[in-house]
Amino acid sequence: MNDLIGQVFNAIGALLADLEAWLSPYLPGQSKVALLAFGFYVLLLLGGGLTAILARNLVRATLGLIITFLGVAGFYLLLASPFLAMMQLLIYIGAVCVLIFFAIMLTKNTSDGEEASLPRLANLIYAFLAGLAPLVVAGPLIVQGTKDIVTRQPVDSGTNLGEGLLSIDLLSFELISIILLVAMAGAVYLAWRPSGGEERA
Amino acid sequence: MDLSLAIFVQIIAAVLLIIALMVGNAVVMVYMERKVAGFIQRRPGPYEVGPWGTIQAICDSMKLLAKQLYRPGNVDLILYYLAPVLAFFPVLLLFLPIPFGPWLTALHINEGIVLILAFAGLGVLSNLLAGWASNNKFSLLGAARAVAQTVAYEIPMILALLAVVFLSGSMDLKRITEQQGQWPWEWNILLQPLAFFIYLVSLVGETNRAPFDLPEAESELTAGFHTEYSGMGFALFFLSEYANMLLVSFVAAVFFLGGYKGPIADGFWWLFIKAYAVMFFMVWIRWTFPRVRFDQLLNLNWKWLLPLGLLNLWATAIIMKIFL
Repeated sequence: MNDLIGQVFNAIGALLADLEAWLSPYLPGQSKVALLAFGFYVLLLLGGGLTAILARNLVRATLGLIITFLGVAGFYLLLASPFLAMMQLLIYIGAVCVLIFFAIMLTKNTSDGEEASLPRLANLIYAFLAGLAPLVVAGPLIVQGTKDIVTRQPVDSGTNLGEGLLSIDLLSFELISIILLVAMAGAVYLAWRPSGGEERA
Repeated sequence: MDLSLAIFVQIIAAVLLIIALMVGNAVVMVYMERKVAGFIQRRPGPYEVGPWGTIQAICDSMKLLAKQLYRPGNVDLILYYLAPVLAFFPVLLLFLPIPFGPWLTALHINEGIVLILAFAGLGVLSNLLAGWASNNKFSLLGAARAVAQTVAYEIPMILALLAVVFLSGSMDLKRITEQQGQWPWEWNILLQPLAFFIYLVSLVGETNRAPFDLPEAESELTAGFHTEYSGMGFALFFLSEYANMLLVSFVAAVFFLGGYKGPIADGFWWLFIKAYAVMFFMVWIRWTFPRVRFDQLLNLNWKWLLPLGLLNLWATAIIMKIFL
């Protein structure tokens, strides 16, 4: 039974391969599709970023942040690292953004708060200049340091990542763990009230 | 993975089949839930429409399709309509890496379970947006509960799955299935009984079902985050909730119960039988246990399931290092 299904699938696959060979002059090539995907992810990044900055409402701004994270995940996919892309979704969208939402919901969200009106023009210009700063620092390095484009075969990124983290990058991995541990201890300390103490605000 | 027409056609066909599966599953589950609830509470359940009430669920879905989409005033328009769509679409992706049979995998990737966990995170986002955009105190409370609960129960769930990933040395659902045998004593449930138990408890929490259905909690919050949704808006939430149930049951079947492998002949029928057995278990405990309080729910997770999950993972790693 299963062999029969497999044979049917193989036959369909062969048929589609023939069709593809026949259609290939009219289909966009792999690099074209990658370029299209690149454009789409750039749109996601810029659109999400602008939404996050210009939205007059914290929840919508966070939604912009989520769209930006989706764009970043897309870039990981283009760099042939599907594992990193999915981790981006799992951690940044599934946990970080959701916790930001949680924090927003627990605070009082008035419609006439500071973020409800557009900031002054001067502030907008300052913010724009501050946003350009990383570009000024990193831009020349990237442009001058890039000799040519290297195409790589996709790797089993999960395995490579794990081996890397436990061999050459062990020190930085442990340092990050310590920073996270300290941050967690700090958060617990800030939120800690001994039982019988005053009520939390 | 090379781009090719075959993969493209394969994914389109798979998505169409998955939509059919989602709708069919919702109809079957509504009928099953009502009948099982009826028998557990010593009443007949639906019996008027069709033989043994079998057409009742179809009639109800027709009613939902034809119902007016009523939108209350002062909602956040974009987010209000985005939320049900966002609940529905990621679920389509979640079924892609599931191996339905030796030949039936829509998208075979090495990190299948990571794909499922990553896109499952978008589901809680839709609950949140729905609750917030509805501009309603009940909805907001339901959404806040949904976040606290789902973020908490995701962790023991991942820990339980990770123990099996340790055993098989792969995150590929097909390889995990292949490493189990045809007969029940060759399945991972015997090697990882504690992980299976943790997974069973946390999947009830993750799908927001009774006794852990605090985000909806109809006796205190009307209907929680989807109070303000009617017609297809509600139906999309409903469909995705049942599809999520089916998905976590499929994952349970693949990780712990041997997937498509079974006595006599391997095939998708075994996967479906196992998944629906898990679903029946979920329906059973829904109508047997009363709803827990919210602090009990979080205490159970953070003080019991999480340490147990970590312990299990640690023990698995040690035993594998020493004996294998």
